[in-house]
Amino acid sequence: MTTPAEMHPLAETYVKELRHAAKKLPRAQRNELIAEIRAHLAEAAPACASQADVLTALERLGEPAGILVEQGGGPAPLARRLGFHEIAAILLLMFGGFLVFVGWLGGVFLLWTSDRWTLRDKLIGTLVVPGGYATAAYALVAVSSVEECSGSSGQMTCTGGPTTLGSIGQIALAVFVFVGPLAAAFYLATRARQQP
Amino acid sequence: MGPGEGSSISQLRRGVLEYCVLALLRGTERYSYEIVHALGQAQGLVTTEGTLYPLLSRLRREELVSTTWRESEAGPPRRYYRLTPSGETRLSTFMGEWGHFRDSVDTLLEGR
Repeated sequence: MTTPAEMHPLAETYVKELRHAAKKLPRAQRNELIAEIRAHLAEAAPACASQADVLTALERLGEPAGILVEQGGGPAPLARRLGFHEIAAILLLMFGGFLVFVGWLGGVFLLWTSDRWTLRDKLIGTLVVPGGYATAAYALVAVSSVEECSGSSGQMTCTGGPTTLGSIGQIALAVFVFVGPLAAAFYLATRARQQP
Repeated sequence: MGPGEGSSISQLRRGVLEYCVLALLRGTERYSYEIVHALGQAQGLVTTEGTLYPLLSRLRREELVSTTWRESEAGPPRRYYRLTPSGETRLSTFMGEWGHFRDSVDTLLEGR
């Protein structure tokens, strides 16, 4: 977006402090705030400015922590209620797969367009578990149809029954597929409430 | 800016500030630093210029202003702000109310 302009060392230190103080902001908001403050300092305190001028400019800007209080709307950001956007995202991620799979994609879209989640949250929401409970239902149907039995009256032969190794893998997969979406939903709900 | 006598005036200031930003953009567009600088020059209006950036970002999220990035002759590109129709409505509503508000407060303060 911008080529970092030449800045006075004191201004550099200030931006570093601000970046540190802004760690908890959603990435987009943080980058935007830092870009704006950088642009401000490039004009108010260019590299060639005297130390006194730079200090005045920084004093006028105020403490980084103070700027963040304004951004967060309060000193200790309280847990926020989930918005419609976030609730819809979580529900669609869990159950949207049953709506011809497109519902889940809608959930992914809402997840990635919300500023209440960080990149990490969004990756977890997408990958645990793709398709949500529709994938679980599909897995259930797939597993139960693996074992096929044929024959009649007393003589039953079954093929494709569970082997020991296979069944351990299946149990692990089943746990992931059934517990994963619920755990991810809880995680996303908690995270969205924490974000300022 | 702790709690105490300063905090009520700072709350009043905070409440009015967004309308001052909207007023600066009436009929013209300005880039972030211009807005912040202009408000910083007004006596007693802004104590810390840095807090204006979160305010600008909120006005943008509420779609009272819209922005475009433009190259500048010197230095990094600048973000220009202009009023949206809903920003204009908000401003003119405030201007109507502010006149009465100011007159009432003045009358009471002057004890007339």
